[in-house]
Amino acid sequence: MTSHEASAPRDARTGPLPFDTSVAHQARIYDYLLGGKDNYTADRAAAEELMQIWPEMIFTARANRAFLGRAVRYLAGEAGIRQFLDIGTGIPTAGNTHQVAQAIAPESRVVYVDYDPIVLAHARALLISGQAGATDYIDADLRDTGTILSQAAKLLDFTQPLAVTLLAILNAISDSDGPYAIVARLLDSVPPGSHLVISHGGSDLLGRQALDGLADVADRRIQQKVVYRTHEQVARFFDGTDLVEPGLVRIEEWRPERGADEKGQSSGWCAVGRKR
Amino acid sequence: MNAVGPDGESPVPGRGRVPVDAIVLRMMLGRQLRRLREAAGITPEEAGDKIRGSRSKISRLETGKTAYKIGDVADLLSLYGVTDKQRRAEVLAMARHANTPDWWRKYSDILPGWFETYLGLEAAASTIRSFEVQFVPALFQTEDYARAVTRLGHKAAPGSEIDDRVSVRLKRQALLSRPEPPVIWSVIDEGVLRRRVGGPAVMRAQLHRLIEAAAMPHVIFQVVPFGLGAHAGAAGSFTVLRFAEQDLPDVIYIEQLTSAIYLEQRVDVEHYLEVINQLSGEALTPAATVRFMEKAAEETL
Repeated sequence: MTSHEASAPRDARTGPLPFDTSVAHQARIYDYLLGGKDNYTADRAAAEELMQIWPEMIFTARANRAFLGRAVRYLAGEAGIRQFLDIGTGIPTAGNTHQVAQAIAPESRVVYVDYDPIVLAHARALLISGQAGATDYIDADLRDTGTILSQAAKLLDFTQPLAVTLLAILNAISDSDGPYAIVARLLDSVPPGSHLVISHGGSDLLGRQALDGLADVADRRIQQKVVYRTHEQVARFFDGTDLVEPGLVRIEEWRPERGADEKGQSSGWCAVGRKR
Repeated sequence: MNAVGPDGESPVPGRGRVPVDAIVLRMMLGRQLRRLREAAGITPEEAGDKIRGSRSKISRLETGKTAYKIGDVADLLSLYGVTDKQRRAEVLAMARHANTPDWWRKYSDILPGWFETYLGLEAAASTIRSFEVQFVPALFQTEDYARAVTRLGHKAAPGSEIDDRVSVRLKRQALLSRPEPPVIWSVIDEGVLRRRVGGPAVMRAQLHRLIEAAAMPHVIFQVVPFGLGAHAGAAGSFTVLRFAEQDLPDVIYIEQLTSAIYLEQRVDVEHYLEVINQLSGEALTPAATVRFMEKAAEETL
């Protein structure tokens, strides 16, 4: 059964998508930082203002994308993972999760999740396939773990280890939305040996003044809230897992590959944990 | 893209033809010259003086609207303080390339200038997205289908002219098999699949050609079924050309009966991007599209 047959009702949508290009969106800002062209005036204006306050943001975004590649290569390679739940997919660009994983293990299956209509428009066309290593896309908010888990189960086997990737997305979940409970629910539904991958802007890697400035820009210009967390707060997401070497580190420091990435210092934390 | 138009458009007798070369290279070069000029703090007037021209000549050069004289470009680089040999050589090589004739030039007598511009952009694009309401995208037309479409627009044309027009269309398809082909992502209205251009046999073969092409990794089709009702593409067919170079903007191409419109202003481009994203989000997925085409082929009796 292909992913399409599994998700037939979503082959065609009813009603227009809620596109809003007048307010900046995280996914399109990220696209802009990565050099993409699927962003709008509002996104570029917000990104430029953020960069004034946080000049390392562009390096951090690129380092984050490079980390996705290294983490998925590790998972599909050394860790032997064949199923991926990629939440907060973003606008597809080079080296998407299924391409990285399927280059190592062609039978790898990937379910992408995002709630931005522009991501949906691209993902339905560019990321979904009914091939041997199948992929699917779920239009859902991270906070709606029930929908994510039940729809992902159409393609992924939750009795076998899988990897849940949450890259630069927990930043959009404020404490009042219960980010730890969300991650715990995801971890509870996967068997031991599964992996959790997180990257997250670090509040202790940014000065107080920068944090205030970033919050101000987000309030005025960006649809999502933007939250930064400390090393310790990010580490708490990994409760119930053993961190893979080198543990919770700056994004560019996680298993760097020889000469592959540009030099710089990010302002984000990342880690890969293996569920006990 | 309207097939009666592009390679089908009649030449306007006596119309002055501006030779259109690798338009994208010109645009890139123009942008680069502008950046260099601004970085050097030189006004368009000062730059114009240097090459014995006016402010508007500089503006035309910087927007890629005119051919480059290598000597002029070299003079401007000197004025802008670009002394690095390697850097100068790169820019000058680009200027020379921008003046190189392209394969379609030999069909100049049947191609209007605006369509030659399109061919230049199409050949240089890294992604070609389009919304098609009338005909199968030209890059995927079978010879018979292309011939039927061309005849529609040129009822009185002699056979040899029809052959030339069809062969321009088929030559464009070489793009699909070049080493680094562009991503071609077409959103196609159901009407395109139902309209029996050239009769049922021609149309059935055309549908099979589309199904075959859909298997290529860089080709994406999405059908907008009639069942969706009115949709965002109500304005008609258009094409979004995207280039790999980061500072080149997307270009929107809209064909009309006897001319074409190119839009590259942010505000216009963003509007069309929004429409095509909306369409892509609402249309059938690529896999469902193939099943839809298979069914349409069965129903074309």
